[in-house]
Amino acid sequence: MDAAPDYLDAKLAQARSGERSALTALVQAHQRSVYSLALRMLGTRDLAEDLTQDVFMHMSANLGAIASNTHLRFWLRRVTSNRAIDQLRHRSRLPMSSFEDQSELFSAEDPADPLLQRHLRALLAHLSPPARAVLLLRYQEDLDPMDIARTLDMPINTVKSHLKRSLQIMREEATRMPSEPCQDSST
Amino acid sequence: MRKYALAILIALQAPASAWALNPRLVIPEFASLAQKSIDSVTITLDPALLSMASRFLDASDPQDAATQEVIKGLRGIYVRSFTFDKESAYNQSDIDAVRVQLAAPGWSRLVQTHSAKTHADVDIYIMVDKNQAVGLALIASEPRQFTIVNIVGAIDLDKLHKLEGQFGVPKLDLNASKAAPKQPDRSAPQK
Amino acid sequence: MNEDVESKLRDALRPVEPRAEFSRKLLARTLSTQAAPSKKPKVSRGAARPLVGWFSASLAACLLVAVGIQQQLHQQRLRATGLEARREVEQALRVTSQKLNLAFEAIKSQSTAPSDEKSGV
Repeated sequence: MDAAPDYLDAKLAQARSGERSALTALVQAHQRSVYSLALRMLGTRDLAEDLTQDVFMHMSANLGAIASNTHLRFWLRRVTSNRAIDQLRHRSRLPMSSFEDQSELFSAEDPADPLLQRHLRALLAHLSPPARAVLLLRYQEDLDPMDIARTLDMPINTVKSHLKRSLQIMREEATRMPSEPCQDSST
Repeated sequence: MRKYALAILIALQAPASAWALNPRLVIPEFASLAQKSIDSVTITLDPALLSMASRFLDASDPQDAATQEVIKGLRGIYVRSFTFDKESAYNQSDIDAVRVQLAAPGWSRLVQTHSAKTHADVDIYIMVDKNQAVGLALIASEPRQFTIVNIVGAIDLDKLHKLEGQFGVPKLDLNASKAAPKQPDRSAPQK
Repeated sequence: MNEDVESKLRDALRPVEPRAEFSRKLLARTLSTQAAPSKKPKVSRGAARPLVGWFSASLAACLLVAVGIQQQLHQQRLRATGLEARREVEQALRVTSQKLNLAFEAIKSQSTAPSDEKSGV
């Protein structure tokens, strides 16, 4: 996604003037990030696909308000995170438990580590929606705490405390006996 | 010294209404609560920022147009909301500094609700001047969250209604609620 | 230990690909909603300037560029502030609406379960 900012800046300008191939390039460049964020926030493929669709349709309708590819990336992360948080807050049925069923939540590029994946599922299910967004923006999107604070409009200290707590939970999960069932204390 | 005396004299001669009707609440920073919270929302929108926001809303988009209509007559929107990871993380006394201001002349309580199911208390206050709502205050206390909203300016509740379904704004049938018989034991202050 | 956990998180949380079928649908639907091209004034490419006076022309151009950059930076700052203000307005209205909804639900349920809910208007 960071590979060719100039190229994508040019594509953004072309997409704004109605070039379909340029819009295609933008969608292809950003869809993995948006979809992964949505999937790991919401926990199910169906909800993630709906949200991804929604975000890109909104993007397409608002290209004129987006200044650069950097701005677009920021905008996509912000809209995806905020909409996912809103969805989770408004849904009476939180799909926390669905994390258990999704094998595609995690990167398959490395040999799968089932124990790590189990710890991660427990972690994602445990975290509140804003804390989950903070974790994903930090480790999926590689943003620093200040950028996360800007993206989520959250005080920097809140971001840092979410990260600290997530790492603490992850460490606790990792030090448990492998046979011990993960406790799902979703909030 | 003479200058100060003159200022005091002018101030004393100002119409009482100018002093009484101030829909802007002084909302504390709640710094200690912010540290304890897992999520907080602090929004301070003064007239300049509202006007700027309005310029960045797209009048051709129905949702943006409705938002523009709502904020057109407003002079400020102030929101403080704190979410905690456990119950009883805040005291009602934290909110008292705001609640006491709502006892001032001009403010009247429009709605007071308590839900036994969610343990949520919501109080809505309104300030009316010349048949026009000029201020709205909302205090929502939930087990893990409290929220204070203060909207200053000409609030058109009908326009707020038009936002229904766009920000999740519910259709509050205020007229019907007003017409409902008041039951003294239920409308008594909850706090 | 922290670095180890962080590195494992980074590895496991690398972005994943959506289904190919979904990607196709996403593209088709996004293209179908593509906004009409924004109308921008065409930049007129005037005739080449005469060589005479090229220095003053260059100087003027430099000044114009400097002023232009300054204005652009100012516009960018205004734009960022405006977009942020817009987002805050939307968030403020969203929070307000959520709390109005709580009140509304309590009023609504008062009629069905009078002992559970209390409301005064």
